[in-house]
Amino acid sequence: MKPPFSFSIAKQQLWLSPMKAVFWEESKSLILSDLHFGKTGHFRKAGIAVPQHIYRNDLQRLFELVQYFQPKKLIIVGDFFHSEMNKEADLFAKWRNDLPHLAIELIRGNHDILNDEWYSQNDIGLHESTYQEGPFCFIHESPQDVETEEGLYYLSGHIHPGVRIHGAGRQSLRVPCFYFDQQFAILPAFSEFTGMAIIEPSRAARVFAIANQEILTLQ
Amino acid sequence: MNLHASIGYKMIRQWLSEKGFSPFAFQEETWEAIANGESGLVNAPTGFGKTFSVFLGALINFINDNPKDYAKQSKNGLQLLWVTPLRALAKDIGRAMEEVLAETGIQWQVGIRNGDTPVAERQRQKRHMPEVLIITPESLHLLLAQKGYKENLQTLRIIAVDEWHELLGSKRGVQVELAISHIVPLLTNKRFSLFAISATIGNLLQAKEVLLAPIGTEGRIITAKVHKPMEVKSIFPDEIEKYPWSGHLGLKLVDKIIPIIRQSTTTLVFINTRGMTERWYQAILQAAPELAGAIALHHGSIEQDLRVWVEEALHSAKLKAVVCTASLDLGVDFRPVETVIQVGSPKGVARFLQRAGRSGHQPGATSRIYFLPTHSLELVEAAALQQAIDEGIIESREPMLLCFDVLVQWLCTLAVSDGFTATELLQEIKSTYCFREMSMEEWQQIVQFVTSGGKALQQYDDFRKVDLQDGIYRITGRRMAMRHRMHIGTIVSDAMLKVKFISGGYIGVIEEYFISRLLPGDVFTLAGKNLELVMIKDMTVLVRKSSAKKSIVPSWNGGRMPLSANLGHLLRQQFNDAGNPLPGRPELVLLKPLFDLQAAISHVPRANELLIEQIETKDGFHLFVYPFEGRLVHEAMAAILAYRISKIRPITFSFAMNDYGFELLSDQPIPVDDSNVYELFSTDNLFTDIQRSVNSTEMARRKFRDISVIGGLVFQGYPGEHKKARHLQSSASLLFNVFQQYDPDNLLMRQAFQEVFAQQMEETRLRDMLERIQQSHIVLMFPDQLTPFCFPVKVDSMRENLSSEQLEDRIKKMQLQLSK
Repeated sequence: MKPPFSFSIAKQQLWLSPMKAVFWEESKSLILSDLHFGKTGHFRKAGIAVPQHIYRNDLQRLFELVQYFQPKKLIIVGDFFHSEMNKEADLFAKWRNDLPHLAIELIRGNHDILNDEWYSQNDIGLHESTYQEGPFCFIHESPQDVETEEGLYYLSGHIHPGVRIHGAGRQSLRVPCFYFDQQFAILPAFSEFTGMAIIEPSRAARVFAIANQEILTLQ
Repeated sequence: MNLHASIGYKMIRQWLSEKGFSPFAFQEETWEAIANGESGLVNAPTGFGKTFSVFLGALINFINDNPKDYAKQSKNGLQLLWVTPLRALAKDIGRAMEEVLAETGIQWQVGIRNGDTPVAERQRQKRHMPEVLIITPESLHLLLAQKGYKENLQTLRIIAVDEWHELLGSKRGVQVELAISHIVPLLTNKRFSLFAISATIGNLLQAKEVLLAPIGTEGRIITAKVHKPMEVKSIFPDEIEKYPWSGHLGLKLVDKIIPIIRQSTTTLVFINTRGMTERWYQAILQAAPELAGAIALHHGSIEQDLRVWVEEALHSAKLKAVVCTASLDLGVDFRPVETVIQVGSPKGVARFLQRAGRSGHQPGATSRIYFLPTHSLELVEAAALQQAIDEGIIESREPMLLCFDVLVQWLCTLAVSDGFTATELLQEIKSTYCFREMSMEEWQQIVQFVTSGGKALQQYDDFRKVDLQDGIYRITGRRMAMRHRMHIGTIVSDAMLKVKFISGGYIGVIEEYFISRLLPGDVFTLAGKNLELVMIKDMTVLVRKSSAKKSIVPSWNGGRMPLSANLGHLLRQQFNDAGNPLPGRPELVLLKPLFDLQAAISHVPRANELLIEQIETKDGFHLFVYPFEGRLVHEAMAAILAYRISKIRPITFSFAMNDYGFELLSDQPIPVDDSNVYELFSTDNLFTDIQRSVNSTEMARRKFRDISVIGGLVFQGYPGEHKKARHLQSSASLLFNVFQQYDPDNLLMRQAFQEVFAQQMEETRLRDMLERIQQSHIVLMFPDQLTPFCFPVKVDSMRENLSSEQLEDRIKKMQLQLSK
């Protein structure tokens, strides 16, 4: 695994991983967004034959991250499971059983529509709109659309951020990114089976692109 | 049998003479073939009674079979299946047929079935099939997706495929091949005829072979011997701009076409893109306001009713002019049309001839077509087109091979209705021209794809589509079946939104991606109206009329045809005379100042030369190459050349191309000189270099867009109820990424690359071009400024990237730019 990239905000030490996750050192938490687990299964159930290995690989990647950072908990800022119940949830449950000491806090995203029992059975703490810890407040959709509390730094997901990069000779490229603005951050989608929304960074924001297993500072 | 002695023949002959007509030789020949149960291809231009060749043949046959009571026999079951590519054609053809039936007293019904046919009518057809069914390829497949279709088709005697030259070379043609392979074994009457009706193309023999492959007969070609003289007249600008820029010149010439429109009963103005038709419509109205109400627009995004109205008005000579796209290329002739104006390059000889043929219907009259260039270099094309017409050079339409996306769809179509058995279906499929080379392994993969969803982790999988029950493959889920029926077809367009006035009233449809870039209050043009965007609600764009002077004209995707090989060849020849034009070539005489400038700062290539220009500007270092082989071949060549240069040293290019040439642009000098230039254009390792040039992946990604929709991977949602498609949205591009990573051997992925090599890169054409270049003289120039040749490439083009630098290095070199 490529070493993570050090970055601090709100006086907290973060480690950005090119595997599209953030390790928060003070809290020993791994922060993730938009995992969309079970998406391949949802498509396949509808007769759309997408390769199922995408999901297995995402799960494998999560496992590697847990092995590497040894977090006490996962904080997932929404869109953990893609849609209705399917057999891929069972594969996750099996995985979950092997890691009983790992806490999971999920902020409900628009895709998280499984019944509440499933979350409690799998020992996942479900938070309807926000989850607060230390100076951070975790939220699924953009904090710009809600009333925010002074003094908190918001971490969100939902849009699957990416940036377009232009260069000499009229070259252009789209890559996923971590986006840290002054009051809030947007995390890249963890799932390989997701698209991207190209964002327009504000001048004050820090933007870190993810390209070929490396984190690159853009601004 | 002796046709002339038959009662059917005598009847029809008599009916014709009562109307003062006598049959053409090719019509009699077709009647005879049908009487003998033969099949084949009728080659006749539009407007020369091609419909009557097959249709009257069917009637003669019916009368001969029922000599005593043909006038009383009704409910005979389906006799004639008439496949037509265009909905708009169905009505006119149906009307013409009904007229004959009424006058001859034959009790046949004519039914039309396409996307516009109401459900009630379709159900009536199911209970009681008309004798003649006029149908599109899509609706034919839909018919086969209905339970109990077999009984309705058994009685069929004749299948006619109209405008076969249009269907051949497209996936719709493959749909026709598959449908025929499945219908023919169902027929109870073994005396059966299958006829293609086609305009002239370069490969008529092959066209016949493709259609007739499933029935395993040789068949015959019946040609209408009609000669129609044709003349190309260029519309000249008053002044030749030395730096030609596409789109810029055309509209300036609007004043020159007003007198032409005024002089003719009706004029068709053909324009290459829908966006430009809107602009031209506005420009003509501004130049000649009195034409308001007498001119109309016709293109694929305009509301159906309005299009039908325009077509009716064309028949009845109510319109002075119609500004249109290829949407009016096909179909019945509009007799009042006297003049045709082609704006911009028609890209090919066949298309140009077809459009020209839309005018001048009096026997012996000359078809006249005006050519209006959109940039001055295009005038050379006018000269080339005239030469093509004089020498009778015309393009071929290559049939498509191994379209697995269509096959996946086909299996599901049959699984939705009565199901299929593997051995029988395989035999049918292998009988088609498209799939005759399909291997057993490919077939098994296809079956596996629809039954178990390819490779999967069996334990955690819920894949369901086609189930095998008692040896029969079926789709049993109702929702799954419904969803499949809605997706039958091979024409893929962007998600379309309806455009309506907020006060009510439907205007047309527009691509979602265009509207998504607009904000409420923005003004855009559609169907010749300036419209202000109010809001988007439930897949409908609500607008109000706007009096704003400025508006955004939608740029529609697609429809940009590349220059054909034939036209490219003729074009290169024109330059031979460019410096010293013959008086008979007014276009070249007029362009002399441009060629003089080109010669002064660079060089005008002769037919046996390839010109390469290297120019440095503030944008960077440019390399321009002019093979005149069409945009698609240039795109491939640019990628290969960029790749080969990048092997010399790490370098990043962006490239641009049009139909005449292409450009490589880099931020560092491009190492091409006398010492390596022939090597760079060598045919050695062509195939591996194609595969390695990053671009084939990007091209395949674009091809995959259509393939994934046709193959049922991209779910476009139910019309008007997109919510039910919850959580099933994904883009073709994303699917391409994941398949490339996790299942690169998937048949649909392989097809995407195959389509790139065969059609996009036109690999054979590319190879021919490189061989030609090896034989020719490469002229390398270093002009100090941009040249007349390079200007249109630079400003009017599509761009691509190729890099041999590391991704990370590139990003570090680039600066992040705030988008827009």
